Amino acid sequence: MTLRPLHRRHRRGTDRRPRLALAVTAVFFVLLYLPIGVVVLFSFNAQKSLTVFKGLSLRWYTAFFHDNVLIESLGMSLRISLVAMAGSVLLGVALALGLVRCRTRLGSLAGLIMLVPLITPEIVTGVAAMLLFKGMGITLSSGTVMLAEITFSISYVTVILRSRIAALNPEVEEAAMDLGATRWQALRLVTLPALLPSILASAVLVFALVFDDFVLAYFTTGVDPQPLSVRIYSAIRFGVQPTINAVGTLMLAGSIGLIALALAIPRLFGRRGGLDLLSGK
Amino acid sequence: MALRTPSGPPGPPRRRSASGTRLWTWLMLPGTLWMTGFLIASLILVATLALGTTDPLGNPRFGLNFDNITALADPAYRIVLLRSLVFALIACAVCLVVAYPVAYAIALHGGRFKHLLIAAIVVPFFANYLVRMYGWSVVLSDDGPVLKVLRAVGLADGHTRILQSGVGVIAGLVYGFIVFMIIPLYAALERMDLSLIEAGRDLYGGPLRTFFFVTLPATRQGAAAGAVLVFLPAMGDFVSAQLMGGPDQIMIGNLIQDKFFQGQNWPLGSALTMLMMAVLFVGMLGYLRRTRKDEAEAAR
Repeated sequence: MTLRPLHRRHRRGTDRRPRLALAVTAVFFVLLYLPIGVVVLFSFNAQKSLTVFKGLSLRWYTAFFHDNVLIESLGMSLRISLVAMAGSVLLGVALALGLVRCRTRLGSLAGLIMLVPLITPEIVTGVAAMLLFKGMGITLSSGTVMLAEITFSISYVTVILRSRIAALNPEVEEAAMDLGATRWQALRLVTLPALLPSILASAVLVFALVFDDFVLAYFTTGVDPQPLSVRIYSAIRFGVQPTINAVGTLMLAGSIGLIALALAIPRLFGRRGGLDLLSGK
Repeated sequence: MALRTPSGPPGPPRRRSASGTRLWTWLMLPGTLWMTGFLIASLILVATLALGTTDPLGNPRFGLNFDNITALADPAYRIVLLRSLVFALIACAVCLVVAYPVAYAIALHGGRFKHLLIAAIVVPFFANYLVRMYGWSVVLSDDGPVLKVLRAVGLADGHTRILQSGVGVIAGLVYGFIVFMIIPLYAALERMDLSLIEAGRDLYGGPLRTFFFVTLPATRQGAAAGAVLVFLPAMGDFVSAQLMGGPDQIMIGNLIQDKFFQGQNWPLGSALTMLMMAVLFVGMLGYLRRTRKDEAEAAR
């Protein structure tokens, strides 16, 4: 242990680079992006091989766009995501408003129920939803996937919105009411516009999460055009066709774009800290 | 993530009125009823069906017998449950060991690229889980880049395999869920009072001692939250064992999937689901007791 001169502590808190931590971080980033890179690279492979790259070609993309089954699945996934987005945003925003403002026993019970999907593995919610639909005599279809996805997504919307609502200054709403607005008008004209960025961000996030979701869809889907991720699951289980690389690349691009959009929305509205969205704080 | 803020921060005192409370209750009602009707009811259904039987055609019948529960004591199931626990716990440990330096490097040395770097980690994790896992299985395959590098540096020979082994399944779980460890650790490290580290240095603690006696204890809660967030999905996962493992690596999620799809024994599948929930419940209780103890200590 040596005595370090005081003036060397110029940097915040730490004064030397942790070489081991930086090395681990570098390897981590390589391994994080390698699998994604492999899928993207081989989607442009001219050959069928999944290990040897033989020249650029778009043949797997052409194959995808000519595969009616996959295109139907894509359409179904988009429809499911849209419906789940609309339903869960509507229910979730209202729930979040109620949870923050309503300090009754019912409020705390609702707060607990809302947390259940977040602490239950998806396979459990999937099994449970499937049993419920079958028990009620409902044939599994894209409709049941939508219902299950809405249920699961409400929690995300509520968690994101709740922290935002709690951060709002309640006096603004009260000022509106002092100026003659009813409580409903204050909510509609003052609070909701202030929440718009978070509402949009959570909507985009839910769309992406539902579009990519596999477990819940797998347990609740019927035989009418299955969601795309369920198709991908069957494809990668029983021998990969290179077409899946093309589908995977398109899905990666789509969801990465959407998540980046969700992160950017609060900034577009001139607010800092887009990442708050993901940490739920 | 959401685990640590069960009821949101307490706001300033507000004017209360009966009309306000009524409006807020009405707003809360549709979502709560929806979740109760679909989620809570369906979970109760699973618990009930765990006590049911199947008729000769394999259709589920409700009932009140404990055959499924006693069937769970079968050594075959016990091995799978134990394996799932071990895999999930090892995955948690690996996530912690890898995520800590990453979160540390970014939070304390990321400078103005901090947000960009964390976004670069988070964004791909929200990309399709199956596509990522499939890409990972290609990377870890027998002639994939990871084994090629390991062979080149002499850490593996021609017979070493990662796929079809427990290592492969754990690697899958780690790749699948490590982001849930990085986010809380990063948040904890960013929140940490950096003058604590300076104080440690001023008291002549070397970098290692300062890390183990100052930094690590200050971020223990973040690590605990991350461990829970990784453990939950890792215990329920069945894709990793299917893609990376062989028949000797199946986890409890695979058993559940099998009972509901191929095996057509829903009551037994429900019993297995409840068993998994019970294990997770014990884990959650441990976590909650731990954090409560920490909070009590912090308050003192």
